[in-house]
Amino acid sequence: MPQVIIDGHAHEFEAGERLLQFCLDRGIEVPHFCYHPALSVPANCRQCLVKAGLPARDRASGELVKDENGNPVTNYFPKLQTSCSLDLADGMVVHTQYDSEEVSGAQADNLELMLINHPLDCPICDQAGQCPLQIQAYKYGPEGSRFEFEKVHKPKRVQLGPNVVLDAERCINCTRCTRFTTEVSKSHQLSIIGRGDKNYPMTAPGQEFDDPYSMNVTDICPVGALTEDYFRFKARVWEMSHTPSISDFGGKGINVDYWVRDNQILRITPRENLSVNEFWMPDAARLVYQRYNENRPKGPSIGGKASDWDAAYDEAASLLKAANGKVLFLGSAYATVEDNYLLMKLAEAIGSEAPQYISHVEAGSGDDWLISDDRAPNTQGCERLDINPVDPVLLKAKLSEGEIQVLYVLEDDPIAAGVLSAEDLSGVKVILHHYHTTNETLFCADAALPAAMCVETIGTYVNEAGRAQRLRPAKMIRLMNRSLMREAGVGQSRTDRHGTPFDRWFDEGNQIDCKPGWESIPAIAERVGLTLSYKSPAAIMDEVALTLPAFGGATHKAMDLLGVGLEDIGEVV
Amino acid sequence: MTQPTNGSLLQPDYVPGEPVERHFADADLVWTDDEQKQIATFRSEYPTNDGAVMKVLWMAQNKFSWLPPDVIQFVANTIEVPYAKVYGVATFYTQYFKEKKGKFVLDICTCFGCQVCGGYDILHYLEEKLGIEKGQTTDDGLFTIQEAECLGACGSAPMLQVTNGPYVHNLTKEKVDGLIVDLKADKMPGFQSVTLPQDETDLGGNRRSDTEAVTEYQTPPVSETIH
Repeated sequence: MPQVIIDGHAHEFEAGERLLQFCLDRGIEVPHFCYHPALSVPANCRQCLVKAGLPARDRASGELVKDENGNPVTNYFPKLQTSCSLDLADGMVVHTQYDSEEVSGAQADNLELMLINHPLDCPICDQAGQCPLQIQAYKYGPEGSRFEFEKVHKPKRVQLGPNVVLDAERCINCTRCTRFTTEVSKSHQLSIIGRGDKNYPMTAPGQEFDDPYSMNVTDICPVGALTEDYFRFKARVWEMSHTPSISDFGGKGINVDYWVRDNQILRITPRENLSVNEFWMPDAARLVYQRYNENRPKGPSIGGKASDWDAAYDEAASLLKAANGKVLFLGSAYATVEDNYLLMKLAEAIGSEAPQYISHVEAGSGDDWLISDDRAPNTQGCERLDINPVDPVLLKAKLSEGEIQVLYVLEDDPIAAGVLSAEDLSGVKVILHHYHTTNETLFCADAALPAAMCVETIGTYVNEAGRAQRLRPAKMIRLMNRSLMREAGVGQSRTDRHGTPFDRWFDEGNQIDCKPGWESIPAIAERVGLTLSYKSPAAIMDEVALTLPAFGGATHKAMDLLGVGLEDIGEVV
Repeated sequence: MTQPTNGSLLQPDYVPGEPVERHFADADLVWTDDEQKQIATFRSEYPTNDGAVMKVLWMAQNKFSWLPPDVIQFVANTIEVPYAKVYGVATFYTQYFKEKKGKFVLDICTCFGCQVCGGYDILHYLEEKLGIEKGQTTDDGLFTIQEAECLGACGSAPMLQVTNGPYVHNLTKEKVDGLIVDLKADKMPGFQSVTLPQDETDLGGNRRSDTEAVTEYQTPPVSETIH
């Protein structure tokens, strides 16, 4: 294997690698702005300069040249090199800022230049706290500026499109955003306009930055020049916890971070997973953040009247027992694999037919990238559990013939989905696990059990490509089952990690009185004589992975942050 | 450099998504057959259409005399390059006119070399003579005066350039007067090759073999106002 010597340490590399990415992969930090692994390499920010050279060889013989001590002589490139664009070569000698004052000096000078026209408005900038320019200026920059003149003024608060706002003064012209629209989203809507110290990224006159993936440019912007319209001035980044989890927007299983303050989801950003969404997510998947905060129920109810959890469980259990097996269980493509699995067990114990689910596939509503035709996140999970889509015609026929006395709906809304109408449900008892008070089936529900959404539970979603991925609780719910959360080893919300109920970001009022399916279904099962005692959702998934070949290997531990690709089970509906 | 036309540095010239003023009708935004052939040739000269952007913009400027957004978009559509990209190119180069200019654009160099030799003297003289300030156009639409950075002819300072074309070297007030008279008579100055001191002996006086018009090198003057 060819070798490169970085700061005196030899590393082996494979042909075709470039220095900056090679360093970053090995934890050697080299400051940079314009380089992004998913984009082309323009080397225009000049921040990743290193000193590099190749071993000197005798021209005639090709032998390595040695000095009087027998050490090989290095011919350094006459100028510092941008490491992002430097192809590694065998024997290359590299000195980064850790090793060379020339390099650290050049990097500091470069930062001083970059900061000449950069407004130092970090105290009001949304990027502060997660800003590569701020971080790298602290770490590698000069102690102050020698620039005593008025800075160049450029447009501020420019609404580039529905979701992105530009502050051109903050821009350092790294061109990450324009390269994103050119190379990744291919909308070609942004370009750097003007020249010299007055240039900035902009749409063409008359055009709007309405790319359905536009907000990705705010993630890759290394300064606060491009910000998400919905999140501007909402919170400082250090006031929020961010939890790595999975988006429930559609069937792609987009890996995200949920940002939480005051126990409310304020922001959703993509999380790198090269097997799924790489670095990106559609705007629509971010703009659902209100879903998790608003219109959430305040505890269970029986026949529309508020009750407590025990009474609601009792009611559900007595309805199930009275139905003599004439129960239809509707699983859910929004619920986790664990919850659907428990529902199957419950259906089996009741002696009813196997659960079905409501398909949320809307043909033609997706694109060929990260927006799926499937609006629900766990359709594959249901299919792999052999839970099949419900046939509305058949279901209505059964209901009218009185073959179904109790409809048990897990985390879905049959009326809004158009599967049933309110008339169909007259004369049928309905048990409903619901997310929102806007659930249209709610007023037909005899026992309504608020359910934890994907941001409040632990569990597994299987995306449409058959990748099992794990949900982590990003926010707390009322009466949280803390022992289970701890057992899972991941269930740490902001208060667990950073605060106490007495800190100023703790807001009990925003804790939803709901239960995850893996807590409420066993509670009902116990009342109908079925013991579903699992120590944690992880234990449920361990059993699923062990007993069902379609989930082979998908334990919580194996899924970790990046998920597990499941074996193909063939085409599903 | 595009100067903000709305008077505010903190607002862009246009709001993204809002319609912009049109300066040419669709019926005017067409290429002749000859022009289309020329564009096809430009496109065939480069591996991608991006390469032809500058040449076609140049053609459009010669045809329409300036490049408002509707012309830039017309160019983008013609060569199938994204509009934003073509707009970025057009705004980068000062030689592309994003604003309507006079028939003759006088770029007076005031960069260091010309400055010490009287570039500003010439600029101010022209401003007074034509009754406009730099960046403005005379009411008859004939002249626009612009201040330019180094045009690479410091040996014959002070100098100016006429409408992205010929240079006028070794300017004096009398020479400027003559130039204005000529231009008003629609007589463009011709190309002048300026000799360098060392050429006098080594090259028989003229470095260029393709031109007859030669101006002998002369020691540049010193600015009246800068000492």
